[in-house]
Order: sequence, then C-alpha cells, then structure tokens
Amino acid sequence: MTRSPYSSSVSRRQFLALSAGAATTTALAAAGCSAPGDGVSTAEAAGEPDTSRTLTKIGLDYPFTQLPLYATLVKLSTAAAKQRDVSLLTTSDASSADTQATNLTTWVTQKVPAIVSFPMVFEATEAIAKRALDAGLIWVTYGGSLEHQSADIQFSFLKGGTLLGEAAAKWANEELGGKGKVAFLTDSTIQLGRERTKGMIDAFTKHAPGVDVVAQEQAIDPDTGLSKSRAVLAKHPDLNLILGVTDAAAYGGFKALQQTGRKATDAKTFVGGQDGAAPSLLAIKQGTFYRASAALAPQDIANAVVEVPLAVAAGKAKPSAQVPITLVGHGDTARIDDLLAQNV
Amino acid sequence: MTTATTAPARRPTPSPRALARGGLSTLRRHPLFVVLALMVLVFQLATGSFLDPGNLRGIATDAATLAIVAVPLALLVISGYLDLSVGSTLALGGLVAGWLAGQQHQSPAVAVLGALAVGATVGAVNGILCCYLGLSAFIVTLGMLTAVRGVAQQLFPLPLSSFGSGFAWLGGSRIAGIDAPVVIAALVLVAGALFLALTPSGRHVFAIGVNREAAYLSGIHIRRTPFALFVVTGVAAALAGAIKASVLDSVVAGTSGAGFELTVLTAVLLGGVALTGGSGSILGVLLGVLFLGCLQNGLTLLSVPTFWQQMAQGTALVAGAALAYFGPRLTR
Repeated sequence: MTRSPYSSSVSRRQFLALSAGAATTTALAAAGCSAPGDGVSTAEAAGEPDTSRTLTKIGLDYPFTQLPLYATLVKLSTAAAKQRDVSLLTTSDASSADTQATNLTTWVTQKVPAIVSFPMVFEATEAIAKRALDAGLIWVTYGGSLEHQSADIQFSFLKGGTLLGEAAAKWANEELGGKGKVAFLTDSTIQLGRERTKGMIDAFTKHAPGVDVVAQEQAIDPDTGLSKSRAVLAKHPDLNLILGVTDAAAYGGFKALQQTGRKATDAKTFVGGQDGAAPSLLAIKQGTFYRASAALAPQDIANAVVEVPLAVAAGKAKPSAQVPITLVGHGDTARIDDLLAQNV
Repeated sequence: MTTATTAPARRPTPSPRALARGGLSTLRRHPLFVVLALMVLVFQLATGSFLDPGNLRGIATDAATLAIVAVPLALLVISGYLDLSVGSTLALGGLVAGWLAGQQHQSPAVAVLGALAVGATVGAVNGILCCYLGLSAFIVTLGMLTAVRGVAQQLFPLPLSSFGSGFAWLGGSRIAGIDAPVVIAALVLVAGALFLALTPSGRHVFAIGVNREAAYLSGIHIRRTPFALFVVTGVAAALAGAIKASVLDSVVAGTSGAGFELTVLTAVLLGGVALTGGSGSILGVLLGVLFLGCLQNGLTLLSVPTFWQQMAQGTALVAGAALAYFGPRLTR
C-alpha cells in the first residue's frame, strides 16, 4: 500500500526532533559564552560612573548591519579594543529601530559597562540612555547627541554634504562655465541622510546657481541609483552632474551614465558621493568622471569607539570626539590607498 | 477494410471577427493590460519622453531581472508554493559570480555557472524542506531569506567591484540591438509560457495547485514537480544576481536584492496569479512586471516627490490588483 504524503511521516518527526535538539544545544552554548557578568569587572557600580574604574568590555551598537561599513567597523574596533585589553560586544539590529531598542535594553539590563550606540531614532533612544546612566553605565552617543549621555562621537554629516556640493559647484563653474544640469540622489528617510542631502544641495545651489537642478530622487543603493539615473537621463541626456547622498547610489548613477555611452573619462561629466566606499574610491583613483567622495576613515571611527568610553571611564574632562570627514578626489591617490587599506 | 488515410485537415485561417473576439477575451482575462496602456499614455502625455527609445530601453533592462525571477516564481505559486528567499539568493548569486570573475579571475561562463550552482543549492534546500518534509513554504523560505543573507554577509562583508570586461558582457552587451538581459528575460518568458501550455508537467503544475490530493491520486508527482520549480527559481534568482552584478560592476552583500522578493511577488500577483495556487499565466506575469517598471519610471520622469511616489505606487498596486481580481468576474 502506498503511504499518502499527507500523513505526518516518522522521518519528518525525526527531522523536527533533531532540529529542536540542535537549536537548544546552540542556544545553551551561546548563552554560556555570553553570560552576564562574564569578564565584567565594573558592572556592579550603580549611580554615577566611577571615574577611576577600568573598562574590560564595550558594547558597540551600530544598527546598519547591511552596510559594508558595519563589517569594517566591527573588525577595526575589535582590533583597537584588543590593543587596550578590552573586549567588544556587538548587536545585530538589521536596521530596525525596534530591534535596536530591544538589544540596547538587554545590554542595560545585563549592565554592559560601556555602550556606544548610533541611535536610529534619537528621541526614542533617550529613555534607554537615561536608564543606562541611572544604572551607572557609560553611554556614548554615536553620530549625534542625546540629553542623557556620558560623551558622544560626532560626525558632521552636513559638512560631508557641503564638501561634496562645494567641490561639484567649483568644478561646474570651471569646466561648464557655471551652466549645465545636475541630478541629486537624496535620502529623506533618516536624520543622517537628511543632513547629508541638505549640505549637498544647499552648497551646490549656492555656489553654482546657474546649473539647472533637473531631479532630486530618493536613492541610497546602487540598484536604485542606476534605475533613477536611467530615467533622468532619458529625459535629460545632456545631464552633467550626479551627486549622491551615498557613494553606493552615486555609483549606480555612474554606471547609468556609462551605459548611455558616456566615456568613463568624459571631461564634461561629474559624479560624486559620500562615505568613501571602495568601488567609488577605485573609480576616482582610475581617473574616471567619478570625481569625488566625502569620505570617513573607518580607522578613525574605530579608534573613537574604543577611546571615548575609556576616556569617560578614566574621568577625562572632555572625552567626546569629532571624526573628520575629508573630500577625496583625483589627486589624492595616497589618501585613497590609505582608505582602501582600511576597508579590510 | 480500407486503409486509406485522409490528409490532416488544415486549420482554417481565423477570420478578423474571430481574431477580435480572441483579443477581447484576452483583455477580459488581463484587464491590467488596459491599465498599463492608459498609464503609458498618461506618462507620455505628461512627460513627452516616456516612449523615447532610450527610456523604453531603460525600462526593459530594469524589468528584465524582475521578469527572469517572476516567471519561475509564478509557476511555483501556481503549484501552491511560495519562495520568499529570492532576494537573498539574488545577492548571493551576484556575489559568487562577482567573486569568481573579479577576485578568482575565472571566465564569465565559470562565474555564471558558479552563481547558478549556488542558486540551485538554495532552491534544492527550499524544495526538500517544503516538498519532501512538508514544512510550510512561507516559513521555510522566510527563514532562508534571512539565513542566506547572513551567509552572504559573512562570506563577503565588503563590496565587490571591478569584475572585468568579459563579465560585463552579461549585463552590458547587445544581441541584435537588444540588451542581453532583455533577451535572456524574453527567452525565460517564452520558455515559461511553452512549459505551461505545451508540456504535461505544465499541466501538472496547475493540477497540483488546484488540489494536491486529487493530483496525487491521479498519479502526478506532487513532490518532484514543485521541487524542480524551487530549484529553477533559485537558479533564476542567482542568474538575476549575476546580471545585476554585471550591470553595476559591483555588488554589496547587505543591500543587493533587499526587498526584491516582495517586488517580484507583487509583479506575479498583479499578473493575476492566485496566491492560493491553481491559476495564472505568463502573459499576466509579463504585464505585472511591465506595470511595475513603467510606474516606477514614469513617476521618476514626472519628478514626483519621494513620499508621494510611495503613496502613488501603493495606490496603483492596490488598484491594479483589484482590477486583476474583479475585472474578469465583472466582464463575464
């Protein structure tokens, strides 16, 4: 008799039992590896941070795990922490503000002695930061400031956009006589993106008022940058400049221009982005019309992630840090090589 | 007893009236065609450049990867299953192809075959878990969506780029004046349509989707056919990933193909494929793909602000889906 495939089979039960067993074993092993208090010598203190304590553990909460910077930052920060005899914990927020809040709350509950967090929603993180401080923990805000914090690591996202906008405007004035067409690939979904977008557009339109702004399209990834730029190019085939809120989006625009037959070294075309992403840096280094990127050095960020909480723990007067953003262009080969070497 | 054979009767040439009736019947079954035509007309009148050859080429190239995955996914949905892992499979396929072409300096053919093998593996895992172990396709492929993305990010944490001119052929060359991805998409569409219409396995897909138990009792391989469709869907997603990697000459593990699974599923459902299985057509899928491609492109040409674009897209999708659902019933 043929067994009907609709009756639950023994093999399926075995499979489920094995799966459950494996999952339980993994969970127990993971729990054993990260038990609260493991290696923490400073987590017992409550109230104000003890200015003389030694940190042995720092939690880095960088929510944008899908970005290439995440892997680089974790690797470089782990190495920097190891040099200072500190272990580094990380979260996996997957760009979800809810997940971030849950993970941060867990760390506060477990009394992770120092937390460096890049809040996706600053207002929503304020209460968690306050609880951390109330529990005697060190709270370092990454990429902005909160009311309740021990220190912060600042980046001027506005300045990054401004640097790019100014450079592009200067190029347009020199190479196009202040005329031409520009398309902006923007981001209005998160604070970081809005600041970059504002800096980029304001600086460009201020310094190159004669250039027509023909499009402002939301795009932060290469796929979207490519398709949006294609559409803009269909309407404006004589487009001269594409400026991106991220290098990834601008790289999509770069490819769209090439696919319409624009030579990679075309003298009348300018593409620029922000981040210092490896494909864009390579395109700049090769002398293409991808001409500029407002770049952050991952090593500088990693150092700040470790040094700022240590400075707070040591009771230093001004523990906060400002990570510099610099514009790299065709002439900056050594700087590009240095940045590429940090993308490990 | 006579053994004379008669010449096979020649099919009469259809009259213009019969052709018109056939056309009307097709329109009734695919009301999205009317919506698409109206949308194209409005975009052309509003922008003046929507129907420019360069823009149509851009739409076709953008829609090609969507169509390549939408066809096998539609077959899978018709058979009563679902694959939500295609976005991550696309990313992993693109990464493997890019890694083989760029860092291992393999030939483009090897790079693409490597990607296809990875896609087939993901599809086979999905197929075994769903078809042979009977686990929920929704849960399994949702899990695989996350797991495969994790594998991709673990293996390739940094962006890959500069894959060489040979690999660029896949996404950038032209065959008879048509972009290679569009030619590949056309071949996939034709193959999907022929498979459904002319092969016994194509009929089995419908039978399994309508009633799995009845299909089983009729002697149809109710596991083997969907399993093969899972594998083909994985292969198609990986091929789409390789094409995207070739077009962009770069690929990022975290963002490549993110959200693609919902876009492709939207195209399939807009095309009239029933999520419950048992009905659908490749022509409908093509219309769904073109609808999404034209809508996105037209809104960009019109410089519609971002949040208005999102609202317009959502509204248009709901309206399109409603029409696809109610249209055939109202015109019966």
